[in-house]
Amino acid sequence: MKMKGLVYIVLACCSLSAFGQGEVLFQKATEAYNNGEYEKAIDYYENVLKTGKHSSELYFNLGNCHYKLDAIGPSIYYYEKALLLNPGDQETQNNLGFAQNMRLDAIEEMPKTAMARLHDSIVLFFTADQWSYLAIITMFLFVLGFIIYYVLSSATSKRFAFIIANVALIICILSIALAYLAHNDQRATNPAIIFEREIAVTSEPNDRSERVFALHEGTKVNILESLDDWSKIKIADGQTGWVPSGSLRVIKDF
Amino acid sequence: MRWNTSIFGIILSLLLLSGHGVLFAQEQEEDDITFEMKLSKEKLGINERLRVEFAMNKDGDNFNPPAFDGFRVVMGPSQSISSSWINGKRSFSKSYSYILKPTVQGSFNIGQATIEIDGETYKTLPRKVQITAAVDNPNAPKSADDVADENLHLVAEVSKGSPYLNEAVTVVYKLFISSNISVTNFRPLDSPKYNNFWSQDIPVTKYNTVNETYQGQPYRSVILKRVVLYPQKSGKLEIEPLSLEIYVDVPTNRRDFFGGRIYTQASKTVSAGKRTLNVQPLPEAGKPADFSGAEGQIEFGVTTSKTSLNASESLQARVEVSGKGNLKLFQLPEPELPSALEVYEPEFDESVRTTLSGMQGKVANNYTIVPSFRGRYPIPNISFSYFDPKTKTYKTLRSDEITIDVLEGPTDGTQISNSTQGRQQIAVPTGRQFHFIKTQTNLISQGSNLFFGSKRFFWWLFGPLVFIPLILFIRKQKQEKDADIEGNRLRKANRLARKYLSAAKKQLENPDGFYVALEKALHNYLKAKLKIETSEFSKERITTLLSDRKVNEITISEFIALLQSCEMARYSPITTVQMAEDYQKSSEVISKMDKQL
Repeated sequence: MKMKGLVYIVLACCSLSAFGQGEVLFQKATEAYNNGEYEKAIDYYENVLKTGKHSSELYFNLGNCHYKLDAIGPSIYYYEKALLLNPGDQETQNNLGFAQNMRLDAIEEMPKTAMARLHDSIVLFFTADQWSYLAIITMFLFVLGFIIYYVLSSATSKRFAFIIANVALIICILSIALAYLAHNDQRATNPAIIFEREIAVTSEPNDRSERVFALHEGTKVNILESLDDWSKIKIADGQTGWVPSGSLRVIKDF
Repeated sequence: MRWNTSIFGIILSLLLLSGHGVLFAQEQEEDDITFEMKLSKEKLGINERLRVEFAMNKDGDNFNPPAFDGFRVVMGPSQSISSSWINGKRSFSKSYSYILKPTVQGSFNIGQATIEIDGETYKTLPRKVQITAAVDNPNAPKSADDVADENLHLVAEVSKGSPYLNEAVTVVYKLFISSNISVTNFRPLDSPKYNNFWSQDIPVTKYNTVNETYQGQPYRSVILKRVVLYPQKSGKLEIEPLSLEIYVDVPTNRRDFFGGRIYTQASKTVSAGKRTLNVQPLPEAGKPADFSGAEGQIEFGVTTSKTSLNASESLQARVEVSGKGNLKLFQLPEPELPSALEVYEPEFDESVRTTLSGMQGKVANNYTIVPSFRGRYPIPNISFSYFDPKTKTYKTLRSDEITIDVLEGPTDGTQISNSTQGRQQIAVPTGRQFHFIKTQTNLISQGSNLFFGSKRFFWWLFGPLVFIPLILFIRKQKQEKDADIEGNRLRKANRLARKYLSAAKKQLENPDGFYVALEKALHNYLKAKLKIETSEFSKERITTLLSDRKVNEITISEFIALLQSCEMARYSPITTVQMAEDYQKSSEVISKMDKQL
């Protein structure tokens, strides 16, 4: 009997190691979610995160669980995280819309200048990583073109290869520059989600100062700087103020 | 006699007012000895006279009157004694009376008189008399006005002397009418303005007479006005007096033919007197942040007419406060609604009754809500705080959390954002469905795995560049190698020439031997190069073979020329110079040919 139990344990261990602990927990969470046990599913997902692994799907699912529990802040937080890992995912954007409609704050976005719009449409067309991949591909093209140019003796082929090599080199340099800009952009923004039901945004990082405006759970803010336990934030309509850091959670925390 | 009783009545009431009920008590018991001073008036004009009487109910000796400072004794002392037996009970009274005339205006004390009764000394209480300026009608009996004055009292009864801020206080104005006069009509002169109060008048429709005691005397009372006040400021607040003009019938001393009293009309202005309320501020300790001034015993709730509906249908949310308290005097809390919902200005709904105990009923705000997109819209709970003056504590009530489920909604649609309602609305269009979780995933390690700027990125970016010098180097190497092969070949050809021509070189002194050796050498060379048999040698064949190998025509002809000169040398004499030239030539041709083969 004892022997049999041991065998089971060994088997279980084997299966765990075969699938990986994270995947097993992920499957369990899916089951729990489908049975409507959202808290249990959240537990499983958080255990996956504790193993040091993550994925955009995991964050998406966490967002769904919190949405089902009417937890506005966490659900928006996890959807935003999912989008950070996998920008442009349609399902995530759709469900994020559902979660955003639960918010209490109505903050209108500050209109952008023409220059800023141009900058955004070019620099943020790809992420920094995507720009980097483009740079690498064009670099390969350039090298290839150069070699062909050097090796071939036919004048037409040589000319063709020369043009390709030059164009590839220009695109490569541009891509690196844009990757750098996009990277800087990404680094400059430190978005966070408000987790408190309601917080007063003050003009100074202390309790005595004047209250400027109030924010509610689920609103996305951008952290500009921090002092002790306070963070200076900027919201979409351009207003700034200080809030206690404990009332926020930073999206880029990995 | 009547006059006496009325004076006695006045004195009695004055005694009661000054709180000396002891004498009154003594009066009640017949066995006790009394000795007291009676004044006809306490306030008189300088041209009037005052009658002072010292009365006792048992005979005594050594009567010692006080010094009447400020008065001159006009008459007295005059003694009167009366003794009677009624139903076997003896009543005795003896009095000394004086008529006094005031000499100056002012306030005077009539001091103590003493007497010895049964060996003990008794003293009267000193009394104060005020002498005013001369009056028109000295020594006249009391006028109807005076009588009315004494018999009418308007009193403001305040339910609480020190209420809390915003706590209901009732003020009831009561008119006390003594039984010997009658009121025919009244008219309010000055309605009080309740500054710093929120006031509500409770109209009196029927004047009911109630028998009541006022200052120890039986009176009839009528409630004339009732007001509920809510103080709006802390500190000492004054309630202005209410003034009424009252028409009364006052009995006179005269009687008509049948012995009935004759009444005279009099009109009297009475006022209730100022009252000061000491309004206490609400305690600061434990005051909730959302306290908006509500006080009383209150219930609070938020309800919605539906919890699930389709987009663009409407529902009603109702914020209601009910109970007892200052219901009209505070702001209802506003619900916090998700910004994606369209909310219209609330409709105020009030059903409050004001009674003597304050306001009672309910007030509510009705919000009409129209959702634009499908989804779940939680309405967070809101709190409402009030002060309960009974327990003197603040209480906070919380509404229930409500979730509105919007089942169907438009799938297309643009972001709606309007601020026409005074409330900004931002709705994010949502799709046809809320997507299910993803069942498959590819877990990756956490941590910053940004590709740009990583080592891997730089390797991949600059790695290909290494190929350029690599290719250049390889190519150069190959070229060098190619060049080397040429040299080798040249060197080889020279070596061959040397190998083949070495025999010929030895024969340079001997023409016959030289040309034989040279021919042999040329043939050997061709044999080695073209891999052909000696027998096949003929000039034509050599020419075609070499042409097939794409050897230069000139070289071929030179080669043939060499072969011819070898043949020629057999039949004609050859000089040494010629021989040297041919040797040189053959060496050149071989190396040339070797390059081309």
